[in-house]
Amino acid sequence: MIKSIFYKEWLKLRLCWCLFLVVHMGLVVYLLLSLRSTLLASGVVETWATMIGRDVLMVNQLMYLPVVTGVGIALCQWLPEMQVKRIRLTLHLPVDYTASIGAMLLCSLVGLCLIFSLDAALLAGVEQLWLPRELVWRTFLTCLPWYIGGLLGYNVTSWCMLEPQWKIRCADMLIGAPLVALCFLTAQPACYIRMFPWLLLLLVVTVCLPFYSVYRFKLGKQ
Amino acid sequence: MKNFKSQISNLKYLILVLGLIVAAWLLPALYDLVSPRTDRLPFVVYSCLDSTFIRFETTGKQVRYVDFRGQEFTKTEADSLLPLFAFRQLVAEGRLPDSLFGVELTPKKIQQNAFHFKTSPKQLNKPAVGLYTMLESASGRVDLQLPPDVFRLTDEGLEFIDCETNKVNKAKSLSFSRELSKHGFTFPVGLIWGNASTRKDYDNGFLLTDANSRLFQLKMVKGAPWVREIERGEMKIERFIQLFTIEPANRKLVGLVVTDDHQLYAVRANGTLAHVDIDEYDPETMQITIVGDLFHWTLTLYTATDSRYYAVDAESFERVACEIVPDPELPLSQRIRRWVLPVRLHFTSWQNQYIQPNINND
Repeated sequence: MIKSIFYKEWLKLRLCWCLFLVVHMGLVVYLLLSLRSTLLASGVVETWATMIGRDVLMVNQLMYLPVVTGVGIALCQWLPEMQVKRIRLTLHLPVDYTASIGAMLLCSLVGLCLIFSLDAALLAGVEQLWLPRELVWRTFLTCLPWYIGGLLGYNVTSWCMLEPQWKIRCADMLIGAPLVALCFLTAQPACYIRMFPWLLLLLVVTVCLPFYSVYRFKLGKQ
Repeated sequence: MKNFKSQISNLKYLILVLGLIVAAWLLPALYDLVSPRTDRLPFVVYSCLDSTFIRFETTGKQVRYVDFRGQEFTKTEADSLLPLFAFRQLVAEGRLPDSLFGVELTPKKIQQNAFHFKTSPKQLNKPAVGLYTMLESASGRVDLQLPPDVFRLTDEGLEFIDCETNKVNKAKSLSFSRELSKHGFTFPVGLIWGNASTRKDYDNGFLLTDANSRLFQLKMVKGAPWVREIERGEMKIERFIQLFTIEPANRKLVGLVVTDDHQLYAVRANGTLAHVDIDEYDPETMQITIVGDLFHWTLTLYTATDSRYYAVDAESFERVACEIVPDPELPLSQRIRRWVLPVRLHFTSWQNQYIQPNINND
């Protein structure tokens, strides 16, 4: 049954996944070409000096793409389910609702992790040809909170989308949006290094919240 | 899973906690946005003629010149009392004294001995890149040039990486590491500080400490390493906690260093240390500004609770004057905020560039 849920989610979201994958790969390739062009035009020595001395990593355009992806996937996944209350069909399956909703959340979170890992791997893999490992690692540490923001954006949007009552949904948004914004307080390189344990904890906490919305849905809140 | 299911109804408490966290973060931030603090810290400089500090207090577009005795001066009087600070104005008005304390004054001499240094905890407490640029300090050219490589620190020495190939330059790495070892340097490097900027008159290279907390200076002279140990003399220094390399125009100093007991030392160009006679300087929590001239240095230290002003002799670094001014009482709007919103959660701080949770740490 869980396998069927995975398959259903794939059929429902495959176009979205492909679209976001293309956008992500396109932006990463653009960033790499842009870095290469700077290295050639300004000189390697000057570019390294700027990256080391002025805290410039040339990846800032990537900042909000993960959160747009996370929110976009959540909207594509839950909007059709909530519009005509199609989610009731899922909740009436002969499996526990925590397992079915958990499976739906899991396949999106795994999909997001895959896209983000591909991003990071492509970026790091090519950058390490041109830059010393310290700068590649610094770039990864700078992008990591943005990727966590993408996952948080997915969790929070799912939580809000699944909430059956509008007034509670608005309250959820008021709490959830600042939590996602926590990942975007600065673009300064590697400054989130002390925040990662807290962001990971927040990720674990927020992944539980959609279950509460579904619990309320099952209670018949309208 | 069954256990989780039975707990789902309790998730409302978790949401409540998240709501409280968001409120403790955003409500005080919104309050501060609506009623921002407008108090400005005054600029303070020591007058060698009046033997007192003169404060430049800015309120709106007005600047008041007052000393700590409460005496107020006009701008012209302040210029006269600070001949080394306002020398350009005095030269323009033909009022620059020919000599002061038996020392002949010329604009060039004043300019060459003027020294400015400023740093704050926020500038220091940030993630380090771990890559450093060693400039050529004796290229024979007036302008400094960026070198074709950068270096990293390893447990065994320095490792130079060629920028064009992104490969380690083993010969150069070995040469610099060996030269350091030859002078008694024990790897790994503890602290290191250098100014990679090419917008300066000359280069003093790097100050660095070894595994035994011994202090060294390292420069590149005509492509080769140049190393010397900084002598501590009779000074009882256990450990250094912060190093700064400086390049003053008069070339009398190489750097400033701070020890674990928060004492500030100047590193003279002859490779010796001189204690700067101030009570304490903790680079983790205090902002420091040094304005130096031919005769004195004015050191201003801002702490979380007060502002400290010291004047020391520019040669011996012995204290000449000191004023400690407690911070003024919080404005009414801030006192109201602390009463209405007693818990303030924030993720950025004036003390560092890290994003991390801080509670009531303004």
